[in-house]
Amino acid sequence: MPIVKTQDLSYLYSTGTPFEIAAIRDVNLEIEQGELVGIIGHTGSGKSTLVQHLNGLLKPTSGKIFVDGLDIWESKQTVRDVRFKVGLCFQYPEYQLFEETVYKDISFGPKNMGLSEDEIDKKVRMAASFVGLKEEHLDKSPFYLSGGEKRRAAIAGVMAMEPKVLILDEPTSGLDPKGRDTILGMIKEYRQDTGSTVLVVSHSMEDVAKMATKVLVMNESKVAMYGTVDEIYSRSDEIIKMGLDVPQITRVFTSLAKCGVNVNPNIYTVNQGKLELAKLFKKA
Amino acid sequence: MISDITIGQYFPGNSILHKIDPRMKIVLTFAFIIIIFLCKNFYALGVMVLMLAIMVASSKISIKVILRGVKPILFIIVFTAILNIFYTDKGETWFEYKFLKITSGGVYIAIFMAIRIICLIIASSLLTYTTSPTMITDGLERLLSPLEFMKNSVHTVAMMMTIALRFIPTLIEEFEKITNAQKARGADLDSGGLIQRSKALVPIFIPLFITSFRRAYELAFAMECRCYNGGEGRTRMKQMKLTKVDFVALFFIVAMCVAVIMLNMNFTHLL
Repeated sequence: MPIVKTQDLSYLYSTGTPFEIAAIRDVNLEIEQGELVGIIGHTGSGKSTLVQHLNGLLKPTSGKIFVDGLDIWESKQTVRDVRFKVGLCFQYPEYQLFEETVYKDISFGPKNMGLSEDEIDKKVRMAASFVGLKEEHLDKSPFYLSGGEKRRAAIAGVMAMEPKVLILDEPTSGLDPKGRDTILGMIKEYRQDTGSTVLVVSHSMEDVAKMATKVLVMNESKVAMYGTVDEIYSRSDEIIKMGLDVPQITRVFTSLAKCGVNVNPNIYTVNQGKLELAKLFKKA
Repeated sequence: MISDITIGQYFPGNSILHKIDPRMKIVLTFAFIIIIFLCKNFYALGVMVLMLAIMVASSKISIKVILRGVKPILFIIVFTAILNIFYTDKGETWFEYKFLKITSGGVYIAIFMAIRIICLIIASSLLTYTTSPTMITDGLERLLSPLEFMKNSVHTVAMMMTIALRFIPTLIEEFEKITNAQKARGADLDSGGLIQRSKALVPIFIPLFITSFRRAYELAFAMECRCYNGGEGRTRMKQMKLTKVDFVALFFIVAMCVAVIMLNMNFTHLL
């Protein structure tokens, strides 16, 4: 059974007027337990609208969403429950920090779940260790942290609820390369250790290629493609036609293949490229 | 829901009402509001309604938008009307039950008050519908410039107003974003008593204040980088000049004022 499933999901703005616009239209999607899905698409392609449906923040105009096999809009209780099952971390999450200490801020989510003090403490410490925040950070005010640390503290606030599905909307935007790698690394680790499903909205094809198991391409309010990384990037022509990009290394290898060099054009990480070139030179 | 409120919104356009000098428009709107309160009977009020209809028609803003602006205060209108109906004991009695008594005078006053409030709202929202916030503050600054003896303060206040108005939509957007983020962490905003509900707003307002302070600093830096140093010696890109349209508008309002005063004198009763 897929952990997240949508059925003919549509969300319209200004319904009933001539200016009706679809933010997403007829989205049918099945995401299996444990996947790491990279969601790519243009600004305005409906990525953010889609992820806000998955935890019940937006109510679909038509269609259904199932999380763990349950229709999330069945009752008031199910909508509230789904907030803890599907953890959504918005873009620039550091702007939502509000507590006096990092510890208290991370515990906001678990507290809302109505857990006991011991459990809250366990979850907060676990989340903090996932994002690499040390003991001394926890007693500090979140506003005294550095930019990257703030971001990590905010993500920990969502991780602490231990959601079955963790969704991150552009978690690396505005960070330097080192900060970006730290965050991507900890997302990977979190997924491996907890076995949860992770959805990452991203603009960077490199990042998606590096970590995702599946890729979801949104274009003009619809799901254009959904498949494994290999399946998607082998259709690089179509992706480029949508105005999106493929990883730089993929461009290099598709161009090489086109020039008649005997290499596999479906390369999307630098590491794969290295091996492929080594093979080529061995033959020569 | 917040975005449904249209009072204070500006609808760009090219109508006669848009073209009137903001200074003239502000003064005439005030005049209009004062004249509304001068009306003593339905005839006088009728003139005002007619005038308002002409203004709405010439603004080229759809009736729907204007009615939407009245909607949020519908409750106040109904409330005052009901109070007036029951509290006025005048004219012939139409209905009586224990302490409740409806008289003709009460009904007339209720209707009169309702129309008055609606006119008031429509007239003042017409000002903001057809004048951009910068134009309004610019106009206000010019109107208040005789008070310049208080040094730079008129310019400062006008600039503060411009900035405040400019950031209302930004703040609303920010508010919605933070609300969603906290809801995603399970914040429960729609249940519990008054105290619990106001407590639930803390996680939203603290980040909102912090963002606002940050924005204020950034804006101040950006303004200083462009050599802003107050109003002294500052010239304007758009010079305001009174044109024919302004005097026509002035004529209409003066004519209306005269008509209202005449009607008030000739018909001393409400009806």
